[in-house]
Amino acid sequence: MTIYSKGETLLQVKNISLTYDNKCILSDINFSIDDIIRPGIQQGQVVSLIGRSGIGKTQLFRILSGLQKPDKGEILVRGCPENGSPKNITRFPDSANICPSDDEPPVRSGKPWTLRPVHAGDMGVIFQNYYQFGWRTVEQSLRLAAHQNKALMGAENDAILEYAAQFDLSDVLKRYPKQLSGGQQQRVSIIQQLLKGSDFLLLDEPFSGLDVCVLDKVVSLLLKVSLSHEFKTLIIVSHDIVTTVAISDTVFILGKKNGLEGSTIVQSIDLMERGLAWQEHVQEKKAFTETIREIKACL
Amino acid sequence: MFKPFERIHRTTVIMLVAIQVIVLLSIWQAAPVGLIPSPLRIGEALGGLFTSSLLWDNVLVSLLLTLKALFYSVLITLVFSYLSVVPFFRPLAHFIVKCRYLTLTGLIFIFTLLTRDGSQLKLSLLVFGIVPFFTTSFLSVILQTNAQEFELCQTLGYSRWQSLYEVIVVGKADQVFEVVRQNFAIAWMMITMVEGLSMSEGGIGTLLIKYNKYNDLVHVIALQAVIFGLGLFFDHLLGRLRHWFFPYTKL
Repeated sequence: MTIYSKGETLLQVKNISLTYDNKCILSDINFSIDDIIRPGIQQGQVVSLIGRSGIGKTQLFRILSGLQKPDKGEILVRGCPENGSPKNITRFPDSANICPSDDEPPVRSGKPWTLRPVHAGDMGVIFQNYYQFGWRTVEQSLRLAAHQNKALMGAENDAILEYAAQFDLSDVLKRYPKQLSGGQQQRVSIIQQLLKGSDFLLLDEPFSGLDVCVLDKVVSLLLKVSLSHEFKTLIIVSHDIVTTVAISDTVFILGKKNGLEGSTIVQSIDLMERGLAWQEHVQEKKAFTETIREIKACL
Repeated sequence: MFKPFERIHRTTVIMLVAIQVIVLLSIWQAAPVGLIPSPLRIGEALGGLFTSSLLWDNVLVSLLLTLKALFYSVLITLVFSYLSVVPFFRPLAHFIVKCRYLTLTGLIFIFTLLTRDGSQLKLSLLVFGIVPFFTTSFLSVILQTNAQEFELCQTLGYSRWQSLYEVIVVGKADQVFEVVRQNFAIAWMMITMVEGLSMSEGGIGTLLIKYNKYNDLVHVIALQAVIFGLGLFFDHLLGRLRHWFFPYTKL
């Protein structure tokens, strides 16, 4: 069993309810995401939000991202420490630092941080169709995002080139979104949100419509991102249970509860506790198959 | 070629159009209708016009006036269209849109009072006639903006003014050319009318009115052909400029 402990709360969802056209879509949703601490290892985490099609995942996604206000409740995210934002530059394993001043360890316990209501722009959001401005080249789009990140001030170009190299996009920097393949568009969207500097990355159905080869690449890409920074938290909203659970640390299941009109979190599964997190070939484990069966029963 | 939604090659399209034009002109030539002049006579008149400075001087006057009017119209349209996303200015933009139902006939006297000379009168009437159509088209472009464009701005942490700049000003810049291209016909149609109000400066409209006055149908149709040809040329030019300035529109 891998040793780990849980630290401060990074994100808290409190009593979220949403009604649309007099129909209750989401009802009393509560969950929180805590910092995961592994001795000697600095890594983020992957949290998945699983549910059937039409259950309200996209609505919850929009509320989490701050793009939509719920009728009730609030989303709280980790706020900045008193003396400004912590260093928030993604570092990939075995890669050069993209910012010379990024040698300090990330801020963790001991430094005061507060939870504050989420605003649009707090989260990195990767839409299902990887939407990008059609009138901007990849490089221009990435620069727009980099300019929003104060920690990158003056080092935007280096950061863009480094990310592009890491994500195998150096050759397409001068191209427009329409000239990119689906996989390239997805990577551009991810880099854009990483450059912006959010700790949280929200992904809406990132595995939807991908063939097997591309799926493996996307999975390893997301794992790479989650391992890049202590506070990097990927929240994947998906109905692809097997792929999502295979890379997650925690699973929240969105479903219907007796007596409630809207959807709510019907179960949360701590995959670390079950020894199913951070494991290679986890899909071959018996416990994994049982967990999938358990999740399907909840849907 | 006769199947619905069939895609045909560009060369085939050009040949198709050429053949149809030749057939149409041949029928027209073979069966002259009353006072309507034959294509050959119109062609001769066109030849005469092309070799005289009369046509080119007047075309130049009309073109300068049209371009000036287009410049001011685009400027006014953009200001009011951009401001239309601010609720305070929205009624004003919508009022301009509704102004396209106004006719110039009764307003010419007011414009005469408001302007200094014939040149200003023509320009102001043209601008007044064009702006409502430009604004209508450009507002519909803004209204059709994909909500995800604003959402992407929000996720990037943009302020509302930054979003306005990125999505509307930069993102819709290519559409300005398209709006001008689609509505250039309005300006070109109005030019003949406003030039008739102050004929001292000349212009293709003035020339047309003169020929029309003496029932010189051959030259009237020849001039119409010139106006038509110039319209097509500008339509093509604006399309080309749009692709040149905004290469992503070709994708």
